[in-house]
Amino acid sequence: MIELRNVTKQFDKFTAVDNVSLDVKPGELFGFLGPNGAGKTTTIKMIAGLFSPTHGTIRINGFDTMLQPIEAKSTLAYVPDQPFLYDKLTGREFLYFAGGLYKIEKEILHTRIKELIEHFEIGQWIDKRAEDYSQGMRQRISIAAALLHHPRTIVIDEPMIGLDPRSAKIVRETIKRQSQQGVSVFMSTHSLPVAEELCDRIGIIHNGQLVFADTQEKLQVYKQQFDGKLESVFLELTK
Amino acid sequence: MDILLHIFRYKFKSFLKSTFDLKAVTVVRGLGSIVVFTSFSIGAYVLANASTRFVIEQPRAGLFLFHQFLSMMLFIFFIAVNLGNIIVSYATLYRSAEVGYLLTKPVDYTSIFILKFLDNFLYSSTTLFLIAFMVICGYGSYFHFPWYYYPAVMAFVLIPFMFLSASIAVLILMAIMKLAGKIGFRKVMGILFLLYFTFIFVFFQYTNPVILVEKVNSASGIVGDAIWKFEPGFLKYLPNHWVALFFYYVAKGATWTGIGYAGLLLCVTSASSILCLIVAKKFYYRSWLVSLQVQAASSVPYSSDTRRWFDFRSNSMLPPQVEALLKKEFFQFFREPSQWIHFLVMVFLALIYVFAVSKLNLRLRVTDIQLLTYLVLFAFGAFLTGSLALRFVFPMISLEGKAFWLLLSSPFDERRLYFIKFLIGFFVVLTLALLVAVATNIPFLQFSARRPLLMYAGLFNAFWISLTVVAMNLGLGGFFANYAEKNPIRIASSQGATLTFLATLLYLIMVVVILMLPLTFYFQSLFLFREFDPRVIVVPGTIVAMLSTALTGFSFVFGLNSLRRDFS
Repeated sequence: MIELRNVTKQFDKFTAVDNVSLDVKPGELFGFLGPNGAGKTTTIKMIAGLFSPTHGTIRINGFDTMLQPIEAKSTLAYVPDQPFLYDKLTGREFLYFAGGLYKIEKEILHTRIKELIEHFEIGQWIDKRAEDYSQGMRQRISIAAALLHHPRTIVIDEPMIGLDPRSAKIVRETIKRQSQQGVSVFMSTHSLPVAEELCDRIGIIHNGQLVFADTQEKLQVYKQQFDGKLESVFLELTK
Repeated sequence: MDILLHIFRYKFKSFLKSTFDLKAVTVVRGLGSIVVFTSFSIGAYVLANASTRFVIEQPRAGLFLFHQFLSMMLFIFFIAVNLGNIIVSYATLYRSAEVGYLLTKPVDYTSIFILKFLDNFLYSSTTLFLIAFMVICGYGSYFHFPWYYYPAVMAFVLIPFMFLSASIAVLILMAIMKLAGKIGFRKVMGILFLLYFTFIFVFFQYTNPVILVEKVNSASGIVGDAIWKFEPGFLKYLPNHWVALFFYYVAKGATWTGIGYAGLLLCVTSASSILCLIVAKKFYYRSWLVSLQVQAASSVPYSSDTRRWFDFRSNSMLPPQVEALLKKEFFQFFREPSQWIHFLVMVFLALIYVFAVSKLNLRLRVTDIQLLTYLVLFAFGAFLTGSLALRFVFPMISLEGKAFWLLLSSPFDERRLYFIKFLIGFFVVLTLALLVAVATNIPFLQFSARRPLLMYAGLFNAFWISLTVVAMNLGLGGFFANYAEKNPIRIASSQGATLTFLATLLYLIMVVVILMLPLTFYFQSLFLFREFDPRVIVVPGTIVAMLSTALTGFSFVFGLNSLRRDFS
């Protein structure tokens, strides 16, 4: 579960996120939309613990990210929009490294990594160094690393970037399955079709403020006020 | 040439914008750099002047011996700049993203080579220029040289000397790439290592300073330049010798003879640069392709069944997080050639020093010279420790790079993370520092074998110095972290690194100053047969420990706070 209460992030005089409050319940797939520079990545980085909020609180599965960061992060998985890996490690080594950080026992880790390699179809190049990987390869490794420790919450920033159609399908299905298994998924995306296809609830952020956050059903009703397209709703709310 | 000037114009604009950026942090950092650079420049000047005066006047070494010592120091300097340039040039000429970009544009290969060579030379030598200039000022002010002497020496002697070292380094590097394409990179590095080792060994076999002093002392009737007969023949052909001769003849008043040697240096530097350009025109692009080959060969995937030493898949007694971090650090270090090669070079130079110093007969019979000798050796050992920490500990946080997101978003306590990084750096630096301390103090054991007080003090100081310089470098390395820079050498020669190095030097100078008085009493007690109360070293030792603890603690807090900053 993710709870944001009056979260604000300021960089000097610029307010990137302005008093945002929202919840993502267990089993819910929350799609976070917004134009470039709206505050999506900043919000996600605050949830993941890479940024500290200027005001407000963020709780992950009941743990305050500022007061109990270790407990919060133990149940969380984060996948950045630009999945930088350690260049000198192979994909397999990166997965072992990630697993070690979440204190997964070696025997369990061996099995888990094998499963994920098969699932994401990355066996062919898993033993090459990450410095030779394409964007899509890095993305798949990052997502695989996020699933190692069976997180209760997944925060994922632009998951489809750089993925070929096959990989994109695998990732979409994986994310959906995770939410069906009770995992809270907070996903930012520019792709409106992906948001409509996967998400239970959608939030739209504009100039740091949450201008819309509701279920798909309510969104359908709202869409009727326009031409029935999410794109029109998005453009109207973010103009 | 037009293209080159065009690129330079934009690089210069970009440099000006980033240097004179009016953000508060940049201004404060810039002002801080000015203060530290100015202080250090003054210190370098005072030290050079005082050392020149002391060595020439006190033991009456004379101009000849002084300039012989200068020649040896210049040799070490030349080799250090040369080796450093080989390693840095590999990253700049062959691994730089800018080169990859320019190769896709209609820019000729020679222009790209010149651009990156100068970029590399200026980037890594700016601080050295400043230090060298102030040392020249300190040295020259003893001889009361006119004001135009100093910029002239910089422009026509020292900079060409460093340029020669850098251009030879690049020639060697291109030769390495040519051979690496045929016989493999590791074999070539092994051969190069052996050649450098042999050359340095032979040089120091023929130019042992103590033997030289004894020879000169025994030939008291020799006058004029006939004294140079004591020098081995092959040294005439080394550029450090020409620079030392230039300084010698100018100091003696035979300016035109000195200028002749400067002219020789300039001619050889020009010839070497032209040769560099000719070779680059024919071979730079091909060598760049070879470097890609070498890189590809190093990342050939191995079979999933192959388990290597220290493999992630192997079990360990360590806690999972510690094991994961240690293995990650290990592979990151040993899979980056610029790291392990540079490390080997530094260890190699340290071992040469250790071997040479431990065999010296340093019974010099005069308290002041004995004290000076001990302090010079102590300072050199401390300097080596500081350099090692700067080169390998300072970049540790930066080298996490943009992949740091994984560690920072994981349940890894940042204090634990920081402490483990500290321990890794401390273990390595301390090992070398203790080795150097033991070697430095062995020659002095002869004075008091029954009570090796100097040895204990040396080990004590090596411990505190290692602790402090590692803490300072890790802490300030975190504060000045640049996650976008992948080249560890560029990180270690950045503005932040320079400030850190100067702060470390300041600390080391304070330690030397604190220890000067008790050491003076100690050597006086030996040579003047006075009673020495060991308690005399307790207070200074305590001050050193307290100063070191305070700096270490402060650096820890500083560094930890840097990990808690927003990570973009």
